Amino acid sequence: MSVKKFLNDPDDLVVEALEGLVTASAGRLRLHRDPLWLESAAADADRRVTLVSGGGSGHEPLHSGFVGPGMLDAAVPGAVFASPTALQVVAAVRGVDRGAGVLLIVKNYTGDVLNFQIAAEIAAEEGIEVETVLVDDDLASESDDGPGRRGTAATVVVEKVCGAAAARGLPLAEVAELGRRVAAGARSMAVALEGAVHPGEDVRSFDLAADEVEHGVGIHGERGIDRRPMAGAHELVGALTEPLVAALGLAEGDRAVVVVNGLGSTHLLELYVVFREVAALLEARGIGLARSLVGPYVTALDMAGASVTLVRADDELLGLWDDAVTTTALTWETR
Amino acid sequence: MTATLDRAAARRWMDAFAADFETQRVRLTELDRAAGDGDFGANLRSALGKVQQRLAADPQTARAVFAAVSDAFLDTGGTSGPLFGMWFRALSRALPETDPADVTQLAEGVREGTATVQRLGGAEVGDKTMVDAMVPAVAALTDATGTGPQQALTAAAEAAEAGAASTEDLVARRGRASYVGEVARGVLDPGALAVALFFRAGARALDG
Repeated sequence: MSVKKFLNDPDDLVVEALEGLVTASAGRLRLHRDPLWLESAAADADRRVTLVSGGGSGHEPLHSGFVGPGMLDAAVPGAVFASPTALQVVAAVRGVDRGAGVLLIVKNYTGDVLNFQIAAEIAAEEGIEVETVLVDDDLASESDDGPGRRGTAATVVVEKVCGAAAARGLPLAEVAELGRRVAAGARSMAVALEGAVHPGEDVRSFDLAADEVEHGVGIHGERGIDRRPMAGAHELVGALTEPLVAALGLAEGDRAVVVVNGLGSTHLLELYVVFREVAALLEARGIGLARSLVGPYVTALDMAGASVTLVRADDELLGLWDDAVTTTALTWETR
Repeated sequence: MTATLDRAAARRWMDAFAADFETQRVRLTELDRAAGDGDFGANLRSALGKVQQRLAADPQTARAVFAAVSDAFLDTGGTSGPLFGMWFRALSRALPETDPADVTQLAEGVREGTATVQRLGGAEVGDKTMVDAMVPAVAALTDATGTGPQQALTAAAEAAEAGAASTEDLVARRGRASYVGEVARGVLDPGALAVALFFRAGARALDG
C-alpha cells in the first residue's frame, strides 16, 4: 500500500501540478508542451536579458513558483528528482530570448549541468548569447574530488538577485556576474527529521529511528554526512549554522542574507523557531542580519527537516533583493 | 554490391539498431544494474521509441535521419541519452545536404561526435564508458576512408566490439559506475556495448 498522497496517475503528477499552477495564476503563467516548460506571461518593461532555470520536480515552489516579473522568465521542470532534457531547455531559451541574451541558473547536479550545458551550446550555435550561473551552496557535499557541492536553497537568492538585475535592464555579463557573486558567497546545510516518500511509493528514502536525525542531508533524499542523536532546536540549528559562518569567513561587522527553508513537511511554526536560533547565533557573533526569508522554498517532496542558508551581503546585492517581485511564491513591492 | 549511405540506408541502420537493442535490452539493463543505477536500458528504449516517432516525418536525407535521431536522444532523460544525442548531432552535421554520404564524411562525423562526448562527459579511453567503443571506431573509420561504407562500418563494428570487450576488466572513473569502484570490475559497460551494437547494425544495413 503506497503512502497516502493526492495523486491520480503518478506519471501525470508533474504535468497536472503545472496545470493547476497555471490555472491558479489567472493568466500570469503560460505552459508549453512537447517540450514541457513554463513561461511568465507578464514582462518587466526594461528587461532585455531573460532568465531560465529548472531542474527536477519535487522541490516546489522551486523553480515554477519563481517565474514572473522581477525573477525568472521561464522554468523547465524535469520528472521528480530528474533533470529536464536538453531539448526542453533549448525550447525555453529560444522562447524567452529577446536578442540580448539568456542567463541559465543551474543547480550543481551531474544531469542538470550536462543538459543545461548542451542546451547552452545548441542555443549559442543558433546565435543566442547564453551565460550560465552554477549554484553550489551545500556545504555538506564539499569534497576535494567528485562533482562538488550540490545546489540547494541559495538558488532562490541567486534567482531573485539576477531577476532584479535583469528587470533593471542590465546586460547579460553583469547579470551573470552578480549571480556568480551571490553563489560564491552562499553556503547551506540541512538536517532531516524524516525521509521523503516518492509519489506512488510506500517507503521513505531513508528510515530514521525516533531518536536520530540525518545531518547534512541533500534535497533528493540522499543520505547526509552522518546520523546524529535528536536534540533540541538550539543544538540542531547551531550544528547547521556554525559551519556556514566558518566556511564563509563571516566576522563581526559582516552582513548576511538568511534563508531558513522547510524541506517539505516541517511546519512554519517550527521554522520560525529555527530562524530565531540562527538570528541569535549571528547576533552573538556580531554578524548583521541583512534580510531574511523563512518558509518552504526549496523542498524535497515531503521530507521533514530544514536547511539554513547564509549569503554574504553588500549594498548592491541588498538593493537588488529589495526590488519588486511578483511570482507565485515570492511577492513584494519595492522595499 | 554494397549500398550507398543514403536516406534509405540510414533508416535501415536505425531499424537494425533498434531491433538489436531490443534483443540485448535485458542484458544491457542487467549490466547497468550491476555497476550503475539500472536505468540505461529503459532510457535507451525510450530514446529509440522517440526516434521512431520523429522518423515518421520521413526525413529525406541520411543527414536529416540522424538529425531526427539526435533530437530524440536530446529529448531523453539521464546522462547517456543527451551524450548520444550530441554524438548523433555531430554525425548528422558532417553528412552532406544531398545523399549519398561517403566514408570520409562518416568518419569525420563520428570523430567530431566522439570529441564532443569526451569534452562534455570528461571521459578518456579506459574510464569504462561509451568512449571506450567510440574512440577505436573513429580510428577504424579513418583507416577505411579508401573503402566503401559497408567495409568501413564492418571495421568500425569490430573495433567498437573490441573496445567494449576491453571495459570488462576496468574500474570506472567516469559515469555512474564510478560510484561503485571495484564492484564494476568484471562487468561490461552497457554504453560501450550499445555503441558496438550501433556500428554492427550499420554494417548489416549497408550490406547489399
